[in-house]
Amino acid sequence: MLTTWRYRPHRSLMERFDPRARWIFSFAFLFSATMFWDARFLAFFFTIAFVWYFSARTRWQETKHGWRLVFFLLGMMIVINTLITGGGAGGVVPPGGKLVWTEGLRLPLGIIWHFGLTYERIWFALCQLLRILGISAVFLVIPYTMDPRVYGITFRRLGLPDKLAYSMELAFRYVPTLGRDFNTTFDAQRARGYELERMGGGIIKQIVRVAPLVIPVTMNSILTGEDVTNAMDLRCFGQQPRTWLYELKYQPRDIALIVFSVAMLITSLLLTVYPFHFGKFWAPEFLLALGG
Amino acid sequence: MKGKLWKFGTREVVYAAIGAALYAVLAIATNFLQIPSAGNVSFRPAVAIPMFFGVAFGPIVGFISGFLGNIISDQISGYGFWFWWDLGNGIMGLIPGLMAYSFTSFKAQATIIKAEILIIIGVLVGMAVASISEMWVSGADMKTVIAGNFIPSVIPNLINGLVLVPLLMIAYDAVISRSGR
Repeated sequence: MLTTWRYRPHRSLMERFDPRARWIFSFAFLFSATMFWDARFLAFFFTIAFVWYFSARTRWQETKHGWRLVFFLLGMMIVINTLITGGGAGGVVPPGGKLVWTEGLRLPLGIIWHFGLTYERIWFALCQLLRILGISAVFLVIPYTMDPRVYGITFRRLGLPDKLAYSMELAFRYVPTLGRDFNTTFDAQRARGYELERMGGGIIKQIVRVAPLVIPVTMNSILTGEDVTNAMDLRCFGQQPRTWLYELKYQPRDIALIVFSVAMLITSLLLTVYPFHFGKFWAPEFLLALGG
Repeated sequence: MKGKLWKFGTREVVYAAIGAALYAVLAIATNFLQIPSAGNVSFRPAVAIPMFFGVAFGPIVGFISGFLGNIISDQISGYGFWFWWDLGNGIMGLIPGLMAYSFTSFKAQATIIKAEILIIIGVLVGMAVASISEMWVSGADMKTVIAGNFIPSVIPNLINGLVLVPLLMIAYDAVISRSGR
């Protein structure tokens, strides 16, 4: 049934970067991109995001699951909320604007729909598209390109306490074990006539029927946890800074990526404050001229 | 009691890791559950895990179980990394965790009612934080966020938490009395 990591080595440019540098870049990108609603700046971030994304050399087959979710959310947000209801543009696009159909939209049977779509809202939809796709491209690629074994050490070296980083490391290592326990419990319950696949009835009934699977797996893992805790305590866990199986070392390219990330963040911050005030919503003149 | 509540020793390290891994495994294992007549919305009974781990082992364990569990589950499912939703899941485990160590019996009616109230608050706060982030990231307005993100995430999480956490608490009470731990 379960559980395989999405990560496969791709020997890509992205994978050559230190995971710490990659996290710093990803968060600097997120905070920088979210400071702007100006399509000219967003186009810049969009370009960076997709250069970064393609440097991972992931295949569509691998990432399509994640992209489907992104496109579903984008569709909801842009088509329904920004274009049809105008809700998504609230607070960013100034009120009013040039109507696309000034005399209403003619529908069959002579019906006229006074649809308040403006050119500004169409442009705002484009800005949303650039921003959300850019951010998604940077973050969606992480599971496919970052080895789960380095999460613990990465966050430790990024400044997280030893215990917290170790907890992270331990969680990643527990997943296959608990996946196996789940399978064993599932098989045992099936031998008793339990059918998880054919679950009808209301939603509460469905949840209650999941209990014979969830409860034994949870209780069993809690009991195992007691033994693991005792074993770790006996080995004096947490008394001294721990050593890690994998060590990370910055290379010149990592330093370059970190410098670029910090520069991007500081520049974005400076551009959006006094006296520049860049980044607010902007629509090109030619588009507004279309409205007459 | 206060010191114990926020303690992060060996026991908490282990249970935070187990909680996160369990959340991830069960979230993937029960992905097939659908809300009747709402094709695309999948139900996640696994959200009960961080809530229960919070109640049993404290707020930090609850938070890490939800936060990290969501990261791992998205890692395995290939959904990417969505920090604010991970944070929201963490809060759903943290708030019920505030009652940890303040009771003696997991199956007492008063304990279960207290847990249910904190689960409701946890789900509302956690999903509000996650949903409101969409205003900042995607430029959606409040109405959109409430209709498109908040309500669809709150309702299933509430139902799952309110139904499954008491069952887990009763089962855990039996385990404690049997094993003498």
